[in-house]
Amino acid sequence: MSKLKPLKALAQIIFVAVAAAVMIGALASTLCSAAPTSGAPPSKTDSTVSTNSVAVKAQASEAAPPVLKPQLTGAELYSMHCNRCHPERYPTERTAAQWKTIMLHMQVRANIPGNQARLILQYLQDNSGR
Amino acid sequence: MFGLIMAGCVIGLALPLRVAAEVSEADFNALKDTVQKLGEQVQALQQSNVVQQQTHEQDTQQIQQLQQKLAETQQIATNAEQKSIEASMTQPMPRQPIDEATVNHNFMMLGDAEFQYAKLAGQHGAFLQADFAPIFLYRGGDNILFEAGFDTTLANNAPGNSGYTTTFNLSFAQLDYVMNDYMTFAGGELILPLGTYTERGAGWLNKIPDNPLAVDALLPGSGLGAELRGGVPVGAAGKSLNYEVYVVNGPGSSDTTGTSGSAGNLDLGGNVGVRSDGVTANLHGHPSGGARLGFFMPFKPHYDLELGISGQSGEWDDAGDHLWSAGVFDAALHLGPSFEAKGEYILTRYGSDDLGTHSQQGWWVQAGYKLAGLDLELPIINNLEIMGRYDSLHDVYDPNNNAFDFKTQRYTVGYVYYFTNTLLFEGDYEFVNSNDPSQADQLIFQLSLGF
Repeated sequence: MSKLKPLKALAQIIFVAVAAAVMIGALASTLCSAAPTSGAPPSKTDSTVSTNSVAVKAQASEAAPPVLKPQLTGAELYSMHCNRCHPERYPTERTAAQWKTIMLHMQVRANIPGNQARLILQYLQDNSGR
Repeated sequence: MFGLIMAGCVIGLALPLRVAAEVSEADFNALKDTVQKLGEQVQALQQSNVVQQQTHEQDTQQIQQLQQKLAETQQIATNAEQKSIEASMTQPMPRQPIDEATVNHNFMMLGDAEFQYAKLAGQHGAFLQADFAPIFLYRGGDNILFEAGFDTTLANNAPGNSGYTTTFNLSFAQLDYVMNDYMTFAGGELILPLGTYTERGAGWLNKIPDNPLAVDALLPGSGLGAELRGGVPVGAAGKSLNYEVYVVNGPGSSDTTGTSGSAGNLDLGGNVGVRSDGVTANLHGHPSGGARLGFFMPFKPHYDLELGISGQSGEWDDAGDHLWSAGVFDAALHLGPSFEAKGEYILTRYGSDDLGTHSQQGWWVQAGYKLAGLDLELPIINNLEIMGRYDSLHDVYDPNNNAFDFKTQRYTVGYVYYFTNTLLFEGDYEFVNSNDPSQADQLIFQLSLGF
């Protein structure tokens, strides 16, 4: 047993080092790709809201300069909230009536304000599987 | 006609008498007949001409009417074409649910199912458990929802005992009434919002097959009571303040010997049980109160930070002399669709007859990176997420050994392979560093399906 202790400690050190390197690298690459650079064209991830289900165009268009929007769209709110806890679900996976029930459940579970929940529901129902 | 006759007369008078005398009566009659026929023909021609003129006028009127109708038809066609173009340029009407007009309730089942294979250090590997955890939802209108979650598990009893054990638990069962956009009332068996892991991270939602040590050891998962909860938007960029305030029966004592205040008798599951006199009853008279306050800050889709603080406090022993209290700080960060990090710090404290005030604490931090973020365009790599977690748990009471100084640190590295967005194959290896003999390194694989 005592012979295994150094190996175990070594494995833990390697684990911590590898995990830290992966996380720092991932964080750095993510931050670099997310940070807008002046004069550079908008990146793919900046112009398009990528989801597991559909590629949803964000309102920040490719050509126009960024402007303050009066209200977020249902697709944007969907991308903000649903990915917090689970992989995003395809809108076509459920019918419009089922989405209404699920969104009521999620509004309660994730404490989503009612007006935002309605916009998300409208987006899901507009793209639902009948 | 009359003109012709007059012309004839004039000619007759003008001719010399000698000539007139030479015309016989027969010739005169023949000429007369000819003149009469000519007169009749002229009259017939005049009548025919009148009829033709009338017909021409009628035809002209009909042509004018037809031309007018043609112009009107062309105008109508032009208007219809214009309207069609305008209609095609407008946004399509949003689809409406086909059954909402007549049906305003709905029943459905969500949930998850898993099975695990585990290899503990010093043991043979084996299939550890199968789990089926359905959630039933019944929507009774626009703002009423009943939801209940069950958890059925078949697990082998290694390493402690032989054979298998089947358990069936009601994880939660609550009636939700959405009072307005910012507040919901919930009553029943509630998932306690001490941190966010139990509500939003357990089961299929977690990307590592087992729970953080501190969550399992230090916090109650659910409680019978009532709750107000909701979210309030802050600004127009999606930020929101979210909250829960609740009262539940709270922890109790598992005592049956009359020493309910002993630290080892703490029962986080609830205050209803068997008293020392053998009667099943409420073990203490005052419910526990708790709350959570969180702030969700999205920067843009898939980029957000949420911070929360929560706590609960209440009596736990039969006499009501001691409090059990917990405080949790939670945080979750998303930087793009590929990177996620979350964690909690948990501190609990309770009084007891035999050990005085006793404190326990633990924390965990977990991060994952989806390799699709590297844009390698490789099918298998694109479906992989690399996971890591650090766990710490300090001072968990062990009634069998009457020991209070267990310290456990656990390092976990693993992966998630996404067959689909709901079918996940997870695997991880856990390095354990602990003075608790029940803790050991292990390898776990899990196939999980969310539905």
